[in-house]
Amino acid sequence: MNVLLGLSLIFLLGLFASKLAEKIKTPAITAYIVIGILIGPYALHFVPKSVLNVSGFISNLALSFIAFSIGQNFSRQVFRQIGRQVLWISALAAFGAWLFVVLGLKIIGMPTYVALIFGAIATATAPAALIMIVRQYKARGKFTEILMGVVAIDDAWGLIVFSVCLAFARKIHFNHVLSISQVIKASLLEIGGSFLLGIFTGMIFKVLSRHIRNPRDLLIFTMGLILLTAGLALHFHLSVLLACMVLAGVIVNFHKESFRFFEVMQSIDWPIYLLFFVLAGANLEIELLAKVSGIGAMYLIMRIAGKIIGTYFGAMIAGADNDVKNYLGVAQMPQAGVALGMALIAKSTFPELGSTIFTAVAATTIIYEIIGPYFVKYALQKAGQIQGE
Amino acid sequence: MNTILGIGFILIVGLFSAKAAEKIKTPAITAYLVIGIVIGPCVLNFMPDNIINISGIISNVALSLIAFSIGQNFSKRTFQQVGKQVLWISILEALGAWFVTVTALLCFNVPGYMALVFGAIAAASAPAAIIMVVRQYKARGKFVDTLMGVVALDDAWGLIIFSISLAVSKAMYLHLSTSMVSVVLKALLEICGSFLLGGIAGILLSYIGRLIKNKTELLIYTLGIIFITTGLALHFHVSVLLSCMFLAAVVVNLNNESFKYFDVLGDVDWPIYLIFFVLAGASLEIALLAKIGFIGIVYLVFRVIGKFAGTYFGAKISNADSDVSKYLSLGLMPQAGVALGMALIAKDQFPEVGGLIFTTVAATTVVYEIIGPFFVKVALQKTNQIHA
Repeated sequence: MNVLLGLSLIFLLGLFASKLAEKIKTPAITAYIVIGILIGPYALHFVPKSVLNVSGFISNLALSFIAFSIGQNFSRQVFRQIGRQVLWISALAAFGAWLFVVLGLKIIGMPTYVALIFGAIATATAPAALIMIVRQYKARGKFTEILMGVVAIDDAWGLIVFSVCLAFARKIHFNHVLSISQVIKASLLEIGGSFLLGIFTGMIFKVLSRHIRNPRDLLIFTMGLILLTAGLALHFHLSVLLACMVLAGVIVNFHKESFRFFEVMQSIDWPIYLLFFVLAGANLEIELLAKVSGIGAMYLIMRIAGKIIGTYFGAMIAGADNDVKNYLGVAQMPQAGVALGMALIAKSTFPELGSTIFTAVAATTIIYEIIGPYFVKYALQKAGQIQGE
Repeated sequence: MNTILGIGFILIVGLFSAKAAEKIKTPAITAYLVIGIVIGPCVLNFMPDNIINISGIISNVALSLIAFSIGQNFSKRTFQQVGKQVLWISILEALGAWFVTVTALLCFNVPGYMALVFGAIAAASAPAAIIMVVRQYKARGKFVDTLMGVVALDDAWGLIIFSISLAVSKAMYLHLSTSMVSVVLKALLEICGSFLLGGIAGILLSYIGRLIKNKTELLIYTLGIIFITTGLALHFHVSVLLSCMFLAAVVVNLNNESFKYFDVLGDVDWPIYLIFFVLAGASLEIALLAKIGFIGIVYLVFRVIGKFAGTYFGAKISNADSDVSKYLSLGLMPQAGVALGMALIAKDQFPEVGGLIFTTVAATTVVYEIIGPFFVKVALQKTNQIHA
């Protein structure tokens, strides 16, 4: 099967699976992932190799578009309204997930360094899954804005927590004499670098956008700068997600007609997301599910408990609405690529227990990705963000 | 440089070079090709390898979208208006280019079998370049309708002429007696196969299309159907261009709301064309220009003369406007992928002179692609199809 035939099958199957899913009130993203699993190597083995080969490219493309789309929520105006809540909730939700998972795994007798790594991975969420559901149901309102903000900032916290925990874990396990300040410096450098890159391309954007008039140029220009940002981030080993979010943040704050850039991307990005999630499903290693022992179950439950309780306290301190207090935690359930990326680093760092970590995270990802979207939809409904229904 | 960075770079550089080209009244496609040449391996060698790797997919995607977009001109209504002219002109301009090129080359003592192959390749034109110029200047009118129709049919005639000429030429060269009937049958089979494939996909697109409600789904659905047509065409070795054109032609005639399929693609296809032409520019081997040689110059000049004479007579026979008879051939000048594909086949078939044929066609393609779009633009301007 050639690449185009493979892509067309993915498009058409994904499309009709999501239409079917609509009938049983299931989010489209779940349908995409399930279709991916079905046509993937573990079931029908239908995805041609040539398509799996391009999945790295597609996932970077999709993640950069998603990050760009999230970044538009960072306008000064929105920040003034909900900035305080976003900061408190995201910090405490990340901390809560970390603390609960670390304690939970210590209780079932895992070594401290493994517990630390699991805790750090628990902080990550999957912005892509969240934004897809928000878009599909056209959810709108303060709750949605806070959720977007939390999910975006989450990523920065996650990066810091993970780097620090990894350093600690190495220190404990290998007796490495590694100064913690060095570690924090390295992770801050990555975050700082991503910010600088986003600001830099944002400035280029601002300067060049004056020449852009018709919709055709607009699309090429916006896409070109997003790809440049993502490509440079990959090149310098910075965070693609953060850099593209900051790019969007700069645009939204320094450009009067910024909505045009986001709208033009929205008109074209869905097919890429569809491909991304079907391929993500095809890449999920379903057989791992069987191996989820106590560790996986503990991680799964404690992460959610930590997110919910952390969010609750964060919302209380920041004086947020009851809806936010009660439902925002559960909406942070999806977890995918970022967590897997961290687990992969852990795997290569710790030869003995690294693959246990990776297997457990990969297996729980399957569950989080399939049931997570339901919980996001539920939270959005409860908080009255879905007007259509 | 990673692939994402490379594509981002191509998009931005392509965009601003097209803007600069606009200032000197040059079509965007020429700017894309020139930028491609500049960053390509022949000059700055700036193009990352991994982009060259995906250029196969990009060119198939771009060609199928272009063919789909051309096919929308085959509505019953357009056919009633310009069908007769399109048929006559396309047949005569294709035969004209073939006949004049062959005769000229024979006069200059080129062996008969080589002249035949060159003549057959001369019939081809480049739909992509032509439609890009039409789209960029939002050209509209009867002349454009006729041009689009001719460009589309061109491809089918070209295929037939090339298959037959190649068979005759092989018979002359190897003194074999290939049966003419089987050659013609094979060409017809490829054309009919493309039609069948496009037809089935078109019927699917129109009927299942009723389930599609919003714009997001429409985009995914249309892309899916076009890609499946292209993928199957590649799989069964039939023509991607013809299949996708026919797909669009079926949709435009079966579905009252067919414009929505074309509109939704019209919003998103330009970045793909940009990348396609920059990559095409990068793969043009500029160094070949030095080797264009005497045969190349004869081919270059007499193909144009043949196109002009054929168009002129076709337009006269079908009573077309004088605009059409005078200027339509200018719009047929660009030549690219289809011709190169034919030259590649010829290269395989004739071990001794195949290399010369391929090099000559590749070199003339450079010339046709770079100056061709200007002539298309001039033709559109002269016939008042560009409404500022």
